[in-house]
Amino acid sequence: MNWRIIPYSENDAFLNMAIDEAVGESVAAGAQPTIRFYGWKPSAVSIGYFQSLEQEVDLKRCSELGVDFVRRRTGGGAVYHDNVGEITYSVMGKQEMFPSDILASYRLICGWICDSLASLGMDAEFKPINDIAVAGKKISGNAQTRRGGVLLQHGTVLHSVDVDRMFSVLRVSDEKIKDKMIANVKERVTSITQQKPDVSRALALHALVQGFTKGKQFETGQLTPAELARAGQLAAERYLTDGWNCMR
Amino acid sequence: MRCEEKIPGGKLIAVEVWASGNVVARAKITGDFFLHPEEAITRAEASLAGLPLPAEEGEVAARLRAALDGAQLIGATAGDFARLFMRAVA
Repeated sequence: MNWRIIPYSENDAFLNMAIDEAVGESVAAGAQPTIRFYGWKPSAVSIGYFQSLEQEVDLKRCSELGVDFVRRRTGGGAVYHDNVGEITYSVMGKQEMFPSDILASYRLICGWICDSLASLGMDAEFKPINDIAVAGKKISGNAQTRRGGVLLQHGTVLHSVDVDRMFSVLRVSDEKIKDKMIANVKERVTSITQQKPDVSRALALHALVQGFTKGKQFETGQLTPAELARAGQLAAERYLTDGWNCMR
Repeated sequence: MRCEEKIPGGKLIAVEVWASGNVVARAKITGDFFLHPEEAITRAEASLAGLPLPAEEGEVAARLRAALDGAQLIGATAGDFARLFMRAVA
């Protein structure tokens, strides 16, 4: 199986989610399995499919800071995607390429991230259901959906992290314990920079590409014009709409 | 009426219920759990509409299990949703 690797690019939140969906559709129609690396410009919050936008996101603060927000097609939690601090990936392939058991397929793909982090000198461990930890602290979160016979998994790796900025746009269920919660998250979350201060963002990205492609036949490619056109359509018709983002 | 809970070893779930008289008008299930296919959540929520109150937890769970039949829930169970529902309407 020859994978298509799409090099790192930055897009807004709506187009990022639309591209993942558009590529999933083209894979369902017979295109190569694809791995894509991307960033978020501007920084954005994504929420899981089942989350309540108003419960999870401080929309006023997002507006003040120029932070976008979007609902994902995948479950899981709210994520602050910092333009500078985070690297995101997505994997789209026919379901039969992966274990049918969902946790086993998380373990497989998260293993590629663990390999990447190991190559940078970090002892990374898959933490079911969908996290990766280094030194017992979360460094990566991941989410998966399966539609039309295609598995889509996307996830984030923290190169650097600013928990205070993260919680300036994420809501907590009890404002009275917000400070305590932020302190708790600072204890439970780490980043590549915290673990290995000399590892640049470029080096981290290089390691991720190496880890994701190890043992695979692959070629570096780009999105096709048809995928880009479909992504633009999906962004306009779904990911930019209140009907989608505010549906829960 | 809204109740939320972090499931030990699982995910955070919340159940919100609107009643009209002694009948459930609408229920909403939110959280950071996973459900495949995702659209099954709409069936689960719809299965609780029209339920007379007060409700039996067993009946709530049975409706949710039937609605989620064939779907795969990760990080929570239909029983967790039912328990939260009962707390929300208590």
